[in-house]
Amino acid sequence: MPLSSELITLDKTAIVTFASQFDPQPYHLDKEAAEQSIFGGLCASGWHIAALATRLVNETLIENGLPFIELVSVGQLKWIRPTFVDEQISVRITLTDIPHGSPIAETYVQAFDVEVCNGDGAVVATMSATAAIAQDSAGSVTS
Amino acid sequence: MTMLYLRDRWFEDLPVGEFHVFGSHTFSELEIVEFAQTFDPRPQSIDPDEARSNHRQGLIASPWLVTATWMRKMVDYMEVYAQGVNDGRRNGAGVAITDLQWLEPVRPGHTLTYTYEIIDKPDHVIREKWGLIRSRNEAFNQYGNKVMQFEIDILAERCPA
Repeated sequence: MPLSSELITLDKTAIVTFASQFDPQPYHLDKEAAEQSIFGGLCASGWHIAALATRLVNETLIENGLPFIELVSVGQLKWIRPTFVDEQISVRITLTDIPHGSPIAETYVQAFDVEVCNGDGAVVATMSATAAIAQDSAGSVTS
Repeated sequence: MTMLYLRDRWFEDLPVGEFHVFGSHTFSELEIVEFAQTFDPRPQSIDPDEARSNHRQGLIASPWLVTATWMRKMVDYMEVYAQGVNDGRRNGAGVAITDLQWLEPVRPGHTLTYTYEIIDKPDHVIREKWGLIRSRNEAFNQYGNKVMQFEIDILAERCPA
């Protein structure tokens, strides 16, 4: 069974604040320009989605007894559809690999696949990644 | 070398092998903490004192801050050379990334230099209008060590027939 996170809403302020700092392109900042763009409306930066999805992964793994420390790598990330103002996202996480050693002390590396879904359950992005997980917890896996 | 960049040129005019050193950035403790408060809100990420005893022995930038700063530097660089075509229409959105790795911690005061090289033009037409430009992107710290790498496919508009 995949591990599921809560839903969080991306309002216009959050989208524009992130984009102003990191991805100041018209389709992430300005409604009229966005409507003329390839996306057809004001939508979140793909990097915003990636960072928020990682926060949800972080929280969801911790809730499930896997003390997330740090994202280590992303083998693949695909942006499938835009996330528009006031849409929600959540993540579904499937652990994919036998945990193995980490470059970070007292952690091991866990691989997983993530589906980022909107409020309707449609997949907006997919990500295959690895993260360092602390070994010093009850139920942790060591190798 | 031409100084024109992606948005000024059609897909057909972007050559494999083109290489840019397109920006650098020094990370402050404040921006590291502010990013973590929104995207990585754990004491070890947002409290310098707490962080001293963590797995990294001090505050480090969230991985996505290092990568999002790549995007900001890239947008700034494109603006310089885009000459007014950044109207949101003829504009390369990212489609997918592969092999993203954060290789060393980035700490307050570290300065990263970002590079971009076109490595492939996959034979793939999207909605009749767009081609794909595949680039390898890397960030190096002030010691010359590579701290991040990834490949990304970005849409580039094809020249109208």
